Amino acid sequence: MKFLIAIGSKEYSEPTLRIGMRVAKAFKASVTICYVGPKVSAFSSNVVRLAQENLERWEMELPGVDVLEWAFNFLAAREYITPNIIETGFQKNMLIQSSGSRSELLLQGTMCKDVRLILRSGDIIDELRDEVAQNKYDVTIIGGSQKRRMAHDLVQFIDSSIFVVNKFDYAMRYGLLVPVNDSKSTPKAVKYAVRVAQAFDIPVDLVTASRKEEFGESYKNASDRAATMMRRSGIEHRQHFKVGEADEVIKKMAGDDHIVVMGSSTKNPVKKFFFGSKQIRVMTDAPFPILIVK
Amino acid sequence: MEVRNQLSSNLIYWVSRNIWLIIASIFGILFYFIPAPAGLSIEGWRTIIIAVIALILIVTEPIPLPGIAFIIIILQVYFGVADANSVSKAFMNDAVFFIMGSLMLAVAIIQQGWDARIALGIIRLTGSSTTRIAFGFSTIAAILSSFIGEHTVAAIMLPIGLTLIRFTSEDKEQTTQLSALILFSIAYGCLIGSIGTPSGGGRNVIMMIYWKEYGVEPLSYWRWMVYVYPLVLLQLPLLAWVLRSTFKPEFSRLDSGVRRLKVQVARSGKITDQQKLAAFLFLVVFIGWVFLSETFGLGIIAITGVVLYIVTDLVKWEDINKHVNWGVIILFGAAISLGVQIKNSGAAHWLANIVLNSMGDEWLNIPIVTDSIIILLTTTMANLLSSSATVAVLGPVILNLPGDAIHTGLVATIVSAFGYFTAVAAPACTIVYSCGLLRSKDFLRAGWKMGTISIGLILVYANVYWRFLQ
Amino acid sequence: MELRYQLLRNLLYWLNRNTGTIAAVIVGVAMYVLPKPDSIDIDAWKTLIIAVITLILIITEPIPLPGIAFVIIILQVYFGIADAETVSNAFMNDAVFFIMGSLMLAVAIIKQGWDVRIALGIVALTGNKTQNIAIGFSIISAVMSSFIGAHTVAAIMLPIGITLIRHMSSEKAETTQLAGILLFSVAYGSLIGSVGSPSGGGRNVIMMIYMKEYGIEPLSYWRWMVYVYPLVFLQIPILGLILKSSFRPEYLKLGKSIRKLKLQVGKSGKVTGNQYFAIFIFILVLLGWVTLSQKHGLGIIALTGVVIYLFTGLVKWQDLNNHVNWGVIILFGAAISLGVQIKNTGAADWLSLQVISVVGESLLQNQGVSDVLNVFLTTIFANILSGTATVAILGPITLNFPGDTLHAGLITAIASSFGYFTAVAAPACVIVYSSGLVRSRDFLRVGWKMGIVSIVVTIIYANIYWPLLK
Repeated sequence: MKFLIAIGSKEYSEPTLRIGMRVAKAFKASVTICYVGPKVSAFSSNVVRLAQENLERWEMELPGVDVLEWAFNFLAAREYITPNIIETGFQKNMLIQSSGSRSELLLQGTMCKDVRLILRSGDIIDELRDEVAQNKYDVTIIGGSQKRRMAHDLVQFIDSSIFVVNKFDYAMRYGLLVPVNDSKSTPKAVKYAVRVAQAFDIPVDLVTASRKEEFGESYKNASDRAATMMRRSGIEHRQHFKVGEADEVIKKMAGDDHIVVMGSSTKNPVKKFFFGSKQIRVMTDAPFPILIVK
Repeated sequence: MEVRNQLSSNLIYWVSRNIWLIIASIFGILFYFIPAPAGLSIEGWRTIIIAVIALILIVTEPIPLPGIAFIIIILQVYFGVADANSVSKAFMNDAVFFIMGSLMLAVAIIQQGWDARIALGIIRLTGSSTTRIAFGFSTIAAILSSFIGEHTVAAIMLPIGLTLIRFTSEDKEQTTQLSALILFSIAYGCLIGSIGTPSGGGRNVIMMIYWKEYGVEPLSYWRWMVYVYPLVLLQLPLLAWVLRSTFKPEFSRLDSGVRRLKVQVARSGKITDQQKLAAFLFLVVFIGWVFLSETFGLGIIAITGVVLYIVTDLVKWEDINKHVNWGVIILFGAAISLGVQIKNSGAAHWLANIVLNSMGDEWLNIPIVTDSIIILLTTTMANLLSSSATVAVLGPVILNLPGDAIHTGLVATIVSAFGYFTAVAAPACTIVYSCGLLRSKDFLRAGWKMGTISIGLILVYANVYWRFLQ
Repeated sequence: MELRYQLLRNLLYWLNRNTGTIAAVIVGVAMYVLPKPDSIDIDAWKTLIIAVITLILIITEPIPLPGIAFVIIILQVYFGIADAETVSNAFMNDAVFFIMGSLMLAVAIIKQGWDVRIALGIVALTGNKTQNIAIGFSIISAVMSSFIGAHTVAAIMLPIGITLIRHMSSEKAETTQLAGILLFSVAYGSLIGSVGSPSGGGRNVIMMIYMKEYGIEPLSYWRWMVYVYPLVFLQIPILGLILKSSFRPEYLKLGKSIRKLKLQVGKSGKVTGNQYFAIFIFILVLLGWVTLSQKHGLGIIALTGVVIYLFTGLVKWQDLNNHVNWGVIILFGAAISLGVQIKNTGAADWLSLQVISVVGESLLQNQGVSDVLNVFLTTIFANILSGTATVAILGPITLNFPGDTLHAGLITAIASSFGYFTAVAAPACVIVYSSGLVRSRDFLRVGWKMGIVSIVVTIIYANIYWPLLK
């Protein structure tokens, strides 16, 4: 498994990195931590590069490198990387440019073979999409963002599962909320939920929502199958059946003390683009972390 | 004292590195003060001085090519041959757009990974006998290069050839003859093909520009092919024969190499939509070249192709920026602006007159004699400079010789592709040489045969076949 | 099914990323299909369509700049406004040579490492008070940038500023105000200075080309300075006041970091022979600009400087090739060729007629009113596009405003440097912003004051001082 964790700044990205690393550990995934710097207008890109090379000559670190250094220290403090690397410390000259706007620093990890630190610059959606397309990540982890458009674009265009770490509170005792229905994407979501629940050792709520009072056979079966999976893995779980619009139900049940794990939409992408999907509606202004499994 | 020594040793080092630069400047200054010979305007004389300086610098390359280009530009202004704006106007024209555009198209094609598929396609046709593969390589190289330019094709085919050689045996010692056979098939195939259509090389377009300058209606894309393509097809079997008699490959069949190539292509999966789109767009550009080049110009169409590739995200500008050799583009521009000056200032006319007077009119009226002079001049130059530079510099002189301008111009353009003898003359040769498997004397060994045969062939061909076309 | 969704997703992604392209296509097609206003010539109308498409593309930047340049070029040919030859001829001119040359000179200069000396010089003059250092920064930036361009200066000064800031405290939060005052001194100082002489920016040279197109003798290098330089000096104290009122630096004295700076400078050793030589060459170029530019053109002289740097090995072609943004050069070439077309087809005439009919002829006869319009238009564009692109596209239009053409041209050139408001338009601002130490909203916060003052000062200055010079 390969995970991509996108971080933005020292101030705001700590929860993202912390949760991201914990989830990655649960999946024994190799992790890439990526910082995307601001896009520079092409008119100025070369002079900006010139200025930055000049900065390097003055032994001043470049913007973005300090964020990676912070990430390095974070990894070192929690011993996600091997001791001898921690000993050497963060070496910014090991940051190797692999293509025009992408530099990479390879570290030896303790929980899996390697941890990569990546510096990119450009439009964030473009860069993340390119990164995922190039290196085939399974999960992309990103902090919550105020921008509604961004969540939409992420779900729409990034070709991996997406974990949005919204408003994570360390003091809170979280539960896992897994919406279950008869769609094709549910079983995979349940599988991921098992791993996450095991990693954090938290109980799971399986919720099935229907617009009608009556629940179809297929919905019940889906919920039962998910429950069986949970039982076999020894996870504390409950089944819920609620009436109402799926996204409303999920939001209400999740409150602010659940991590939501749900399957991705199987809708036609054009419809999804114009009318949105359940996932996108849940994700916008969600006060809880959410993992959308693709 | 210490500092002084340091400084003088630096200076001596610089002088020894740049000896040709100094010779060129001394030459320039000297001749600048010598009055122009009778019959030649002062501008013409100075243009010739610039041309000679440029020749010295291009051959010896003491500074990077674009530096030479800048020298050509600034000297024209400082010598009062032309003012800044007319130099810059002559600097850019459709030919430069075309060279720029086709270099960029090449980047796009390689980025899309069409090269391995082409290799497999060739081998499907030829089977795995070494001589047949070599023939297949040269044929494909010739056909491709007649449409998309020799350097592009050489760059596409080189990795293919190398893959095949490496898959046959890892040991370089065991494959010297085989490498030579395959690589020369590619390089010479490209050279042979590059004359086939106007889009085969920048020099063809340069010649078309000169025709227009001289008031001759240039050949259309199709007409050019009718004139020249048969020659390409004639030369191919000759090439195969020459190479076979020169190199004795160590392996007569390349089964193991072919098998591994097949595995590699199979691993890269099916043809993706993007690859299909890339091929389709190239087809569009090609059709544009054939049918629309007279209305819009080759360069404009090539650039349209680049725009399409960029807009559809098939190639990134960063890749283009990195892989395109901007120095070469600038040099082409500068050489053309110099060529225009050679013509405008009357220098070309004067030079042609010298040749005429030394030969006598009655001789020159025999086309074969004119052709021989052109061939000798052009082949010599083409093996020293790049072929495009040759046409850019010699073009105006040659078009001033008596005889049909289309005839003389075409001969010069075709012969400018005969850069067989040295590793540095033609881009295709330089590209295959750059992989390090060939020795420079191999070029002379295979090149003299190829050169002699080609020269004989073109003399006969031009004076027999073209007669029928008029 | 899966495959089709994948394809659809890719298509949607492309559409989503390329809204600019789509908008441009829709607007272009609409303008092409809809009936044009009667009063305008068909070629002029088509040129305007291209101009609008270009503006949309430059602002939204959905495709790389050279892609936009190619679109401009090929549309001119496909619309039948000009043939390939005309377009390519207009494409290259002295201004493009100058932009190319000055970008290369910038690389050469920055690679020499003079910044260390400059840093020491400033500190020696100003002492360790933050306010004084800030003023010193803006004066030096302004003076240097009027000769070597704002972007070069910003790149040179940025490390000095950041060194001073970081050595006071490595915590970003503790130095936001200090970073603001120092870095804005650099950015705005170099913007203010860049109008001071023709070589301060490519936009000045483009304006000179356009003036020539309009048949007025452009100002000589020296005369330009006489016209504009006093304005530079007027604006510097204003900048000082505005920055002082906008930022409250956390440290009033920077003694601590100046000591460290001196230490760092000490490490880099004495001035080497090469550095002296590099300065000497640059002074030669400067002298060339002042004395010879009228005759030979600014671009040719800049290229001469590049050639000398290449000759002497002070800069490598590889460095130039990597750091020069060829895309920008191509784009400016294309934009200028478009600008020339805007004028030649009469589109500029028509547009200014429209403006006149809106504002009223009698009002615009007043030079002051015409200036206000000119300045506002230019400033708005200069904050969205780069200043150079603004002049390239807007120049032919503002030159057509009623009143003195030279006056209008200079006003446009000056106002195109007012890119104070955004962190994306002027290269100097982008460089400073890219350090990550200033926020983008600071540009608006400080910029609006600076912008208003500059606009008012410029208009008064132009209408009082310039008439005296005639």
